[in-house]
Amino acid sequence: MTASHSQTEALFRGETEAGKLDHVIRAVDVHKVFRMGDSETRALAGVSLDVRRGEYLSIMGPSGSGKSTFFNMVGGLDKPTSGKVYIDQVDIAQLDPYELAWLRCRKVGYIFQTFNLIQVMSCIENVTLPMAFAGMDSEEARDKGLDILQRVGLGDRALHKPAEMSGGQQQRVAIARALANSPDILLADEPTGNLDLKTGEEIINLFSRLRDELGVTVITATHDLKMLKTSDRIVWIEDGLITRVSTPEEMQIEIGEVGGH
Amino acid sequence: MNQSIGTQRTLPLRRAVHIAVSGIRIRIGRSLVTVSGVVLGIAFLMSNLTGQIVKTAVSSERDARHKVDLMMSLVSAEMGPAGGRTLAVAAFGQVSDVERAFLARVVAAGPAAFRALGVAMQGLTPVTADALGDGASLLFVIGDAASAPASIGDLTRGMSARVVLDTVAGRAYAGGAAGPEVRRAPFFGQEAEQQEAEMAAAARQERFRITWIIAVSLMVTVVTVANALLMSVTERFREIGTMKCLGALSSFIRTLFLIESALIGMAGSVLGAITGAAFTLVIYGFTYRFGTVFGSTNYGWLLLAGGGAVVCGTLMAMAAAIYPARVASRMVPADALRSTV
Ligand SMILES: Nc1ncnc2c1ncn2[C@@H]1O[C@H](COP(=O)(O)OP(=O)(O)OP(=O)(O)O)[C@@H](O)[C@H]1O
Ligand SMILES: [Mg+2]
Repeated sequence: MTASHSQTEALFRGETEAGKLDHVIRAVDVHKVFRMGDSETRALAGVSLDVRRGEYLSIMGPSGSGKSTFFNMVGGLDKPTSGKVYIDQVDIAQLDPYELAWLRCRKVGYIFQTFNLIQVMSCIENVTLPMAFAGMDSEEARDKGLDILQRVGLGDRALHKPAEMSGGQQQRVAIARALANSPDILLADEPTGNLDLKTGEEIINLFSRLRDELGVTVITATHDLKMLKTSDRIVWIEDGLITRVSTPEEMQIEIGEVGGH
Repeated sequence: MNQSIGTQRTLPLRRAVHIAVSGIRIRIGRSLVTVSGVVLGIAFLMSNLTGQIVKTAVSSERDARHKVDLMMSLVSAEMGPAGGRTLAVAAFGQVSDVERAFLARVVAAGPAAFRALGVAMQGLTPVTADALGDGASLLFVIGDAASAPASIGDLTRGMSARVVLDTVAGRAYAGGAAGPEVRRAPFFGQEAEQQEAEMAAAARQERFRITWIIAVSLMVTVVTVANALLMSVTERFREIGTMKCLGALSSFIRTLFLIESALIGMAGSVLGAITGAAFTLVIYGFTYRFGTVFGSTNYGWLLLAGGGAVVCGTLMAMAAAIYPARVASRMVPADALRSTV
């Protein structure tokens, strides 16, 4: 705790390489190997990536390429086998459990590929749970939760349980929950995968707005080309390695080419 | 925008209780199964405790009644049909409950025929030693040995009584040779004490045996509850993982499970204590007569036993939750999320 605090303070006093301060996330040679009995799966094989504050980043890659695994490392949900992840210049491996919980609670908003809504809780309870963990009193949390649900178009569904909702609706609840504590970083694993065109677009616009207005850093894993358009950068992962980084403009050309065939 | 990493605070207990309660309510089916495990264990415990309390009360009451019956039959054996004869009762010092009950029976049998010395009791007029001796054909001496007079001459002067009955063991009176014959009521002697000691030893053994059975049944309860909670943890891997991703501390997850099991334990043991006590009282009521059972049971003890059973059940459920809560709180969020259970 003290080590990381003093490290943080040192960094913020400017005792660091200039310029890197602007990187909200830095992944340095991150490896992740899953061992299950005799078999080993190398999910990440040395991923290095710097993400600027307020950047909108899309990660693309085939199924099983390591996108979700990378999200887990960056979000402090799992520890890399080797390599380091810095959030705001703090090595998250150095954080104690209290700081790690704080980070997961307020710094990062997660939207999981499988939603992971708490089935026994209503929408509003799901959305206000992170607020409760952040110490917000329930009245205030309720108001804020309803407001966010309104924004994702589920204002009238606050008391429904996840099981009573469609996939797209559940996904929107998950998005609302990720926004509960106004995180600096939004990690979204396939956030539009289950949404129709219109809702998907609305969500993408919401993300862009969050980025533009609040400076939220957005990282998404996606196959959605609409999503790529709004991105600042597109990172390609294959077999646990970054194979290329491109801009949407370059992508446009390629898509055009592909479409032309 | 906040740029440094802060420290997560612990959620207030009130919120944890709230979440635990809604968790129990939503999984009411599973919760009830867990509760019923506690109910059974505590009902068994409480039924044994109640049995002990009722048996003590009933048997001491029966014992007293039996002794009074004996005293009354001694009186009628000595006096024959009590036509016109007078029984004198002399009480010294501390009068026991049995002797008091005996006096009450004497009074109830016919106040005119009896007189008592030194006992203030409804229906009995305290009289002097002289007045007592007047015309009585039998003297019954009760009370404690220390307070009794050394000589019986004063008491029996002017009495036609040939026999003096005495409830106190080993009481010797001076000048007995010329006077009336002094006899001891049979159930107050040394043999009786020995018999009582033997019965107490048997009761102790019985208590030990029952304690052992109760201990085993409570252990079974703990294991049952632990198993149910462990299953509930497995069932909720994903939920727990999600909570951790949203900022729950491990200690919060642990607290959540402990609160949940404490609530389950409390509900189960209150139910168990009530059913156990009620069931046993009714069973004993059928065996001994409801009036006797409900009249003689010491409700203070019963309440105390109930309170103890509830505390015991709650603590047991919490003890059962320690391991499952640890399993739940130690999970890595990413792994927990992958769980497909
Ligand atoms: N906990 C784990 N244990 C074992 N293997 C794992 C684990 N998590 C991920 N893997 C493996 O690591 C590799 C990368 O998985 P990951 O979930 O990151 O892929 P992905 O890019 O998110 O795929 P998708 O697009 O299908 O979601 C896969 O081969 C997967 O089988
Ligand atoms: Mg994935």
